[in-house]
Amino acid sequence: MNRVEQVMGLPVSVDVRSGGGLAGHAIDGVFGWLREVDARFSPFKADSEVCRYDRGELSPSELSDDLLEVLSLCDHYERLSGGAFTARLPGRRLDPNAVVKGWAVQRAASLLLAEGLDVFCINAGGDVITSGEPEPGRAWRVGIRHPERPDAVCAVVESSGGAVATSAEYERGAHILDGRTGRPPAGLLSVTVAADDLVTADSLATAAFAMGIEGIAWVASQPGCQVLVIDAERQVHRSPRLRLA
Amino acid sequence: MKKTIVAATVALSAAGFLGVWLYEPGPLGSETVAVAAPAPSSSSADGGASEGAERTLDGSVESNRYGTVQVRLVISAEDKISEVRLLQRPTSGRGVDAIPILQEETLTAQSADIDTVSGATSTSESYVKSLQAALDAR
Repeated sequence: MNRVEQVMGLPVSVDVRSGGGLAGHAIDGVFGWLREVDARFSPFKADSEVCRYDRGELSPSELSDDLLEVLSLCDHYERLSGGAFTARLPGRRLDPNAVVKGWAVQRAASLLLAEGLDVFCINAGGDVITSGEPEPGRAWRVGIRHPERPDAVCAVVESSGGAVATSAEYERGAHILDGRTGRPPAGLLSVTVAADDLVTADSLATAAFAMGIEGIAWVASQPGCQVLVIDAERQVHRSPRLRLA
Repeated sequence: MKKTIVAATVALSAAGFLGVWLYEPGPLGSETVAVAAPAPSSSSADGGASEGAERTLDGSVESNRYGTVQVRLVISAEDKISEVRLLQRPTSGRGVDAIPILQEETLTAQSADIDTVSGATSTSESYVKSLQAALDAR
């Protein structure tokens, strides 16, 4: 059973291959959770918890455990990336979206597992979580989008019980900025990270993309992840242990 | 000839790696890093390890103003360095014990049999044009 909805500003596809008639109800729960996250954590909704905290209407002691967890993850990746990754660009409103997406979709995956559904693939705006195998003995085949051709892939990664995230700017209108300079990064076309969970994969991919060229060696040295980075010279840099199909 | 190439690559890789790693220099001091026992290893370039298997190669212990460093290279079956592990490293600086050596390839396009697509597809405009939309419509 496969369903696509636009939520959190993203096209989200949920493809569940187990559970039979249970799947529809569980997928309802996934989209319900993602809509709840959007209402609570969107930096674009004036009455969200994030905006109220940013305006000083909530003190840190009044924040939900969920938002505290998200903010501590933001701080962790900001430190790890030397400030290239940040939820607090100077002169802008608090924007923890780069972590919220991976965190919320990872929790959505745990909702499916809690319902006993263990064969699925969730794709949220190009960030992927897989569980189980779509056919016995075969992992999910995750195509990595070619950075210059929307209709082609440049590699296929195998995944069963993990996450694959890609950070890139295929169209003009940069939304990823280097937190150290406040400017759009240069030097990379796309960064793909495969890891056990989507918070790690998505945050590391975003941070490495924001760092530019130096992000290649940085992300490759992070424990528990395999990378595929394409630089502006169209050179591909790939971890030897990345599971290619 | 191959031995010379491997030895030269070892030296270059270790130098390049330390350049990256010593990005955050710190005070003196060092620690030994726990590393799983190596696969049958050649401690020198002429160790006679058979081709077709991953093997390891340990460097000498080097001390400089940053501390003491000893590296172990993991060499793939294709005779390429796939990872640099730190057997000893300074107590400060980057908190990594190993760094993989990335494989370099030229970007190519393919249309393969896939279940899903990873790529930054965050707007409905980019989604409509994406391979993922075509897959969802199947």
